[in-house]
Amino acid sequence: MNLFASSIVMTLLMLTMPIILTSASTHKNKFYPQYVKTTISHAFMISTIPMMMFLYSGQEMIISNWHWMTIQTLKLTLSFKLDYFSMIFMPVALFVTWSIMEFSIWYMHTDPNINRFFKYLLMFLITMMILVTANNLFQLFVGWEGVGIMSFLLIGWWYGRTDANTAALQAVLYNRIGDVGFIMAMAWFLLNTNAWDFQQIFAIEHDNLNIPLAGLLLAATGKSAQFGLHPWLPSAMEGPTPVSALLHSSTMVVAGVFLLIRFHPLMEHNKTIQTAALCLGAMTTLFTAACALTQNDIKKIIAFSTSSQLGLMIVTIGINQPYLAFLHICTHAFFKAMLFMCSGSIIHSLNNEQDIRKMGGLFKALPLTTTALIIGTLALTGMPFLTGFYSKDLIIETANTSYTNAWALLTTLIATSMTAAYSTRIVFFALLGQPRFNPAIVINENNPLLINSIKRLLLGSIFAGYLISHNITPTSIPQMTMPYYLKMTALAVTMLGFILALELNSTMQGLKFNYPQSPFKFSNQLGYFPIIIHRLLPTMGLSMSQKMASMLLDMIWLENVLPKSISYFQMKSSITVSNQKGLIKLYFLSFMITLALSFFVLNFHG
Amino acid sequence: MPVVYVNIFLAFIVSLMGLLIYRSHLMSSLLCLEGMMLSLFVMLTVTVLNNHFTLANMAPIILLVFAACEAALGLSLLVMVSNTYGTDYVQNLNLLQC
Repeated sequence: MNLFASSIVMTLLMLTMPIILTSASTHKNKFYPQYVKTTISHAFMISTIPMMMFLYSGQEMIISNWHWMTIQTLKLTLSFKLDYFSMIFMPVALFVTWSIMEFSIWYMHTDPNINRFFKYLLMFLITMMILVTANNLFQLFVGWEGVGIMSFLLIGWWYGRTDANTAALQAVLYNRIGDVGFIMAMAWFLLNTNAWDFQQIFAIEHDNLNIPLAGLLLAATGKSAQFGLHPWLPSAMEGPTPVSALLHSSTMVVAGVFLLIRFHPLMEHNKTIQTAALCLGAMTTLFTAACALTQNDIKKIIAFSTSSQLGLMIVTIGINQPYLAFLHICTHAFFKAMLFMCSGSIIHSLNNEQDIRKMGGLFKALPLTTTALIIGTLALTGMPFLTGFYSKDLIIETANTSYTNAWALLTTLIATSMTAAYSTRIVFFALLGQPRFNPAIVINENNPLLINSIKRLLLGSIFAGYLISHNITPTSIPQMTMPYYLKMTALAVTMLGFILALELNSTMQGLKFNYPQSPFKFSNQLGYFPIIIHRLLPTMGLSMSQKMASMLLDMIWLENVLPKSISYFQMKSSITVSNQKGLIKLYFLSFMITLALSFFVLNFHG
Repeated sequence: MPVVYVNIFLAFIVSLMGLLIYRSHLMSSLLCLEGMMLSLFVMLTVTVLNNHFTLANMAPIILLVFAACEAALGLSLLVMVSNTYGTDYVQNLNLLQC
């Protein structure tokens, strides 16, 4: 029991060492990347100790270290909650990060700022750990904002490129809109429960929790790229591939889902928010899977795949299965990170080519990458007994047999078949067929850094599902008996997606290119969502304000209504009325003569 | 009628004739306008004081105020004409020909 607290503290402290040592200018050292990678691998090994202790004894722990401040009746401390969720997530995240660090030593080898890159990745990891182990909302918010900031810095890593800057700004802005929901939830909890600690919030009985849970759902929408706040995730592929692998597939985007999972005691009893989450997740997963079908950039397809799986996680929360959602987070991290790393290997080998229409025939040229890509694809679509099966199939079964919204269920199933379809598309275009790239390049994947990292995640993709799901403590009971057709649903729709995509792709290979029709254009342009929202609202706002300020106030009221209108009116009427010749002296003389004449006539009449 | 009234009335008529019959300068008609105003002022004052119309003691002063405004207006028009043409000759005011 003593080992629990000390090993956790050692893990967390060890991660901060390379950052602290930057003040001693270790970071200018040539071997800094390897140092960071070794630190993370050691932290992973140490963090498996408390995980196994927890799985053996089932004991959770809360470490409350330091009393920061007390604001009237609110006590803020530095406290770490080490329960089921954080204990299992930490080794998984550290394992995936270890492989990604090793991969990025190879990928960012020629970058002059590689030390800074590793520092940023490590800072991201630290803030993610803070988020996961937080026991009060304040610490969680610190981690939340931290991952948002590091995401911004890492997406805009190549800041000379305008698209990268725009994408980083987009990520920050969309996350900010979600943060509004988070702060609303924090404020509600502060006002109504006088605490930001989870224990106190879960212990008190509330009457109506709609407002804070809606705020948390908004926060999850922003951070986990659900429909409405989703465009930042495909744009975030402007960052380097290790960034996409770490942040936008396994770790940061699951922070929103993790938040909802943390609050599952409150969400259990609130049907409204569960239904909202269900519908939102179903909408997201269908929309992003549909958008992924016609993209041509390999990283964007995988990004939409991530978004679709996140929608699936939110659907799982919507059917009141937080533990299944958490299992899906852990298993998804393995194969998604591996998919990104394979795409990075392909991109690097083809001399920075990211368009799948210009790849092909890599089956023989990059054997390990091909293997990993195909296994990752199969794991993603839920091939029986690979990693994805243990979580994804359970989710679909539970959704099929639960009392839930039929539309949400149907869209989830359609999205599952689309998953198979676009995964087949990636494999077909990138790996099979004849090469469509420039032949004058050297394709080489012989580097041990690349091979070892992919191999590690490959083993994880194959075995991790089995290992995790057979060793965890029993949580919510899965459905054991159901009719044949319900049990086979996930497999059947996946097979349907595979076969359909394979047929379509091989049939359309040699045909004439026809101009896209409306559904294709809808899917390729991401449903026109970014185009409309990013342009229309600012244009309307700016033009309306210009018209109000300049036209309405200045030109109309101050200039035209009184001064100019009077002068204009007078001029027009005088031109109309007068027929003068300008002989003024004559006119005055006529006054004179009239006066004199009238004087004489009227005086001497009688 | 007392002789002073006839006197002032005669002054008024002379100024009026000066206003209506002039050669070339607009300024001279403005000056005659001032003369008319002055004679009216004197006549009004003499009448009010001689007949002890105490309640009408304000009337000449008000007349003077309005005369001043009117003189200012006339002068501004003169300045406008002079700005456009350089002089204030009356034969310049022929823009309203149709």
